[in-house]
Amino acid sequence: MNSPTNKAFHPRSGSSEAEETLRLIANLPAPQGLEDRVQSALRKAPRRSTLLNWPAGLAPARTWMRGAAAAAIVFVVVGGGWGVYLRVQPVQAPKVIAMPRVSAGGGFSSAGAMRTPQTLNGPVLVTPATKPANGTVGTGTKKVIPIKSAVNKIGHATKAAAAAR
Amino acid sequence: MEIAPSAVRDETRQHEEAALAALVDEYASTLYRVAFSVLRNAADAEDAVQEAFLRVLRHRDTLGEVRDHRVWLIRIVWNIVLDRKRRAKTRPETDDISELARVLPAKGLSAEQRAAAAQHHAQVLACVEQLPVKEREVLMLSAFEELTSVEIATVLEITESSVRSRLFRARNLMADLLNHSRSIR
Repeated sequence: MNSPTNKAFHPRSGSSEAEETLRLIANLPAPQGLEDRVQSALRKAPRRSTLLNWPAGLAPARTWMRGAAAAAIVFVVVGGGWGVYLRVQPVQAPKVIAMPRVSAGGGFSSAGAMRTPQTLNGPVLVTPATKPANGTVGTGTKKVIPIKSAVNKIGHATKAAAAAR
Repeated sequence: MEIAPSAVRDETRQHEEAALAALVDEYASTLYRVAFSVLRNAADAEDAVQEAFLRVLRHRDTLGEVRDHRVWLIRIVWNIVLDRKRRAKTRPETDDISELARVLPAKGLSAEQRAAAAQHHAQVLACVEQLPVKEREVLMLSAFEELTSVEIATVLEITESSVRSRLFRARNLMADLLNHSRSIR
């Protein structure tokens, strides 16, 4: 067969050399018995699903056989179900059912854990003692001394000590 | 007279199987050569041919719609071998040398000459592998003398003018690659 692609032969020696190699490989003969092996592989290949015909002895015309087959199928199914019912005892349902705790959000619960943040001790607020209206100091409160009189008292005590010397 | 559907089915199936067997007898060797030119391994090429015919078996209902069975089958096996080659690892040149030494015709050649020829062809093929995919595919298919440029275009699903331009580029690139490889060696 003629090949137009091969008619336009390129003069460059490199390409012709490559084409010569490729042509040599392309013309290698196929191995012996290839066709037979392919045919046998096709025979072994799975076929498409086909309809099976009834055997001549089990022709659909014989209605009593159909009835017997249907009865046998019903017998096997019912008998099997009855056997399972006899062997498997129903499990007693527990009277108290422990319901799992489910959080309101529907996600994971904290399992009752509380988070306590670690903080520094804060300032303690001391409320100043208030003077009652009748002039008496309340029980458990210290007498508040004004700073000026306290300084004067210290000054007088120092002067008296110096005079005594 | 009423014909049973099973009889019609049997007859159709037999007809399809006979047609498939005829296709195997006629084109198995062509498909093998196409597969071998890409895979360069006899066992892999035979596997590819079997897979191609198994695909035909699965779609044998459409056999009647095919115009050119030969090109259609080559296209099937071409896609199979390209897919296999993509999945396979890069083939070392030493594998090519040993396989070519085994399969190349050895008529009138000594063992040394045969080994040298195999090495030379393997080097050329290594250069072919360096070509861009489009150019390489056209160059490889053009080596099959039974394929015209129109048929190559059908296999590759491109136009005939694309085949010609790609072939021109492939030849130029191939010449450069071979010259370059020779200058290195």
